[in-house]
Amino acid sequence: MARYDIPTLKEEIEDDTVEKVLALDVENYKYGFETKLEVERAPKGLSEEVIRFISMKKEEPEWMLEWRLDAYKRWLTMDEPTWAKVHYPKIDFQDMYYYAAPKSSNRPKSLDEVDPALLEMYEKLGVPLKERELLAGVEQPRVAVDAVIDSVSVATTFRAELNKMGIIFCSISEAIREYPDLVKQYLGSVVPVSDNYYATLNSAVFTDGSFCYIPKGVRCPMELSTYFRINEAKTGQFERTLLIADEGAYVSYLEGCTAPARNEHQLHAAVVELVAMKDAEIKYSTVQNWFPGDKDGKGGVYNFVTKRGDCRGDNSKISWTQVETGSAITWKYPSCILRGDNSSGEFYSIAISNGYQQVDSGTKMLHLGKNTTSRIISKGIAAGFSDNTYRGQVSAHAKAKGARNFTQCDSLLIGDKCGAHTVPYIESRNASAVFEHEATTSKISDDQMFYCMQRGLSEEEAVALIVNGFVRDVLQHLPMEFMVETQKLISISLEGSVG
Amino acid sequence: MSVHVPVRLGPAESKLIEQLTAAGAVAEAERLTGSGLPTRRVEAYHYTDLKQLLRAVPELAGAAEAASAPALRVAGAHQLMIANGIVQESGTAPAGVIVGKTTGGVLSTRDDIVTRLNNALVGEALTLELDGSVDPVIQIDRRTEGGAGHSTSAAKIYVGDGSSAVILDTYSGSDEAHLGNHATYLALGKNAKVTHITVNLAGSKATHFASNEYHLAEGAQLRTLIINAGAALSRTQLFPKYEGAGAHADVTGLNLVSDGQHADITMDALHAVPHTSSKPLFKSIARGRSRAVVQGRLVVARDAQKTDAKLMSQGLMLSDEAEILAKPELEIYADDVVCGHGATSGQLDEDHMFYLLSRGIPKAEAETMLVRAFLAELIDPIEDQALNEALTDVVDGWLARG
Repeated sequence: MARYDIPTLKEEIEDDTVEKVLALDVENYKYGFETKLEVERAPKGLSEEVIRFISMKKEEPEWMLEWRLDAYKRWLTMDEPTWAKVHYPKIDFQDMYYYAAPKSSNRPKSLDEVDPALLEMYEKLGVPLKERELLAGVEQPRVAVDAVIDSVSVATTFRAELNKMGIIFCSISEAIREYPDLVKQYLGSVVPVSDNYYATLNSAVFTDGSFCYIPKGVRCPMELSTYFRINEAKTGQFERTLLIADEGAYVSYLEGCTAPARNEHQLHAAVVELVAMKDAEIKYSTVQNWFPGDKDGKGGVYNFVTKRGDCRGDNSKISWTQVETGSAITWKYPSCILRGDNSSGEFYSIAISNGYQQVDSGTKMLHLGKNTTSRIISKGIAAGFSDNTYRGQVSAHAKAKGARNFTQCDSLLIGDKCGAHTVPYIESRNASAVFEHEATTSKISDDQMFYCMQRGLSEEEAVALIVNGFVRDVLQHLPMEFMVETQKLISISLEGSVG
Repeated sequence: MSVHVPVRLGPAESKLIEQLTAAGAVAEAERLTGSGLPTRRVEAYHYTDLKQLLRAVPELAGAAEAASAPALRVAGAHQLMIANGIVQESGTAPAGVIVGKTTGGVLSTRDDIVTRLNNALVGEALTLELDGSVDPVIQIDRRTEGGAGHSTSAAKIYVGDGSSAVILDTYSGSDEAHLGNHATYLALGKNAKVTHITVNLAGSKATHFASNEYHLAEGAQLRTLIINAGAALSRTQLFPKYEGAGAHADVTGLNLVSDGQHADITMDALHAVPHTSSKPLFKSIARGRSRAVVQGRLVVARDAQKTDAKLMSQGLMLSDEAEILAKPELEIYADDVVCGHGATSGQLDEDHMFYLLSRGIPKAEAETMLVRAFLAELIDPIEDQALNEALTDVVDGWLARG
């Protein structure tokens, strides 16, 4: 199994842990296959014409095209950010395709009409595109899936059933056509067009992604999920997801991503916007498994993602869970704007890097409202020649009376050719805000520790149990395929953690 | 693809470029012309955006006229003085101390405007060689005197193998809009034991920059205490480098900021070899409309196994307009290390206050007691009694002014 030499290894690290991390060996990337599909592409490169082409293909209204062109004009004046701890050759934005769609993807009426090659691909990826009926007496977890390949959504399942409850779940392209008022109201309201270099690029060229609206007081009866797949070579994927939970609504949403193994780098620049109104709750989980490049660091996906949730109403809650194992470069900071009073944000992250992967990921918790709370639990595990950085910002606005944050980030290094880094930004502008940032494992609630330890668990076992307890709460909602994989990752214990 | 806009230079930058050019530092002038002063986009200056904060730079200061009384007196200390960057004559040096002068910069070259300006503009540097157990506290009294001026001072200190010393750097001067840029290079020999205290009591309109570079050989033990209490804008940079096994430092610092002040302590530490340890501890107290910044970066090199480092930053806010900003960074390349960091910020504990108030202690006094308790961790380890008292006075004076 171990194809990398690990010259020096700490004694405390259990073999089991090492094996599990090495099982993620970049050479073992099992989603690296390519499916041959007939595709239609936009001309290579980026220009106003290409943006018009995308807009035309999506049959978008005029206002959408204007929005895109405005973003493009702004993007031309911006510089690529360089502050992250990642190194890569300059990206040639003219040397890729911004739109690629399987020819057979002209919105089939039902799943029976979907190209069998596509269905087969999703079958291979373990994504259920068949709406399994409930068996009599057997409760099966059901997941509604929006399947996005390259630049288009090919299928969305369980739409009719969700529609009965007033839930809108469709691709963003359809939403722009069918629910323009909702899209106009919320699109860009969390991540403004000119937010950052990659978000602006995304605003100009985004192709597909999911749109979801949960009406007042509705608890979404099943998991919603989107499965992103980059299939075509030299194609960037620019997904755009917009999720709105109206007053008192609840939704749990999952996202999975894979791509074929290729020699060249591919760009994925996504924007995800979440809006939680009064008393609403959104759980957003990601299992990111883009192709990480081969063992020599060749190829792999550049994952530059802007994800942000806005707790707009009082008592709202947004929870991000991410399991990051893929991508050559990850640049991703799922954030929460805690605007409503008593709103709360959570960020649970497990980032595992191997080979020549570079991860710079973390979160932002911006406390604006009174008595807002946030919790950050981040575990970074670096192996091979990788660099794994946690970068997180916690800030309290002058009006955020009683704001409370707890942050804990642990890193584990396996081998002596990798690096683990922590860069927290802690900004308190309110005297009554209480921030705690701990990078050691001793500051989990003493009561919980005591409870576990007096039942015979060692300190490390107790910590692992408690941290897993936090995360598992969210993981329970993942579909089986994700959960098995994720639990494998999470079972990696904290022994020998540093920083 | 993107359109690049050349850096627009403000009056402060133009003045610095003019001064660098006049001093013959053409390369530095060009460098500054190209980059401008660092903005918040430069990570090391994320919370101290010099482009915004440094609005004007005064003319280069001339030789100092009559100097005012020192800001801090410590009974029994041996005093040396640098006034407006010029090393002054001093009395007979105590046993084990050789005082001298040298020309040129004392700091290592790094990608940092404050140290680069110091190296380029410094005229002469004070040199100190300390050997054996140096008894009196060695005070370097650095002044910026007369009308508003830009002055640059530097000191290069070697502490011999097995030697011990207490060094106190104080910064003060007339109440004008000075710009003082001070450098200290301090090398500790094998098993040397040094306490280095710096007290910034610069005038309320002044800008204070200080950069301290520390080199620790095998078994060297260093304790620092950086107190930033003066100046409208201050930034103290610490660059400890652990170069020998067994080297250890307690790098501590304190920002005391009141209305209108911005104080920054930034540490960039490098654990370069195996078996070194450090315990950086920084505290900030902010009141009024003020801002205290602590940035700490701990870098553990690839080979520096068995490093034991714990970085802590604590903030205490005494008003709702105050800001406390912290960035405790870890950058770890060795896999067998124990490194951690922590950061907290908040106000005085309500329970503690209640306890004291319920026992009849007036509110102001109770606050002072709790603040003193918060700071005890920094002041208590200073063993020299006279020095300990002098530092306590600095803190008490600051508290009384509130």
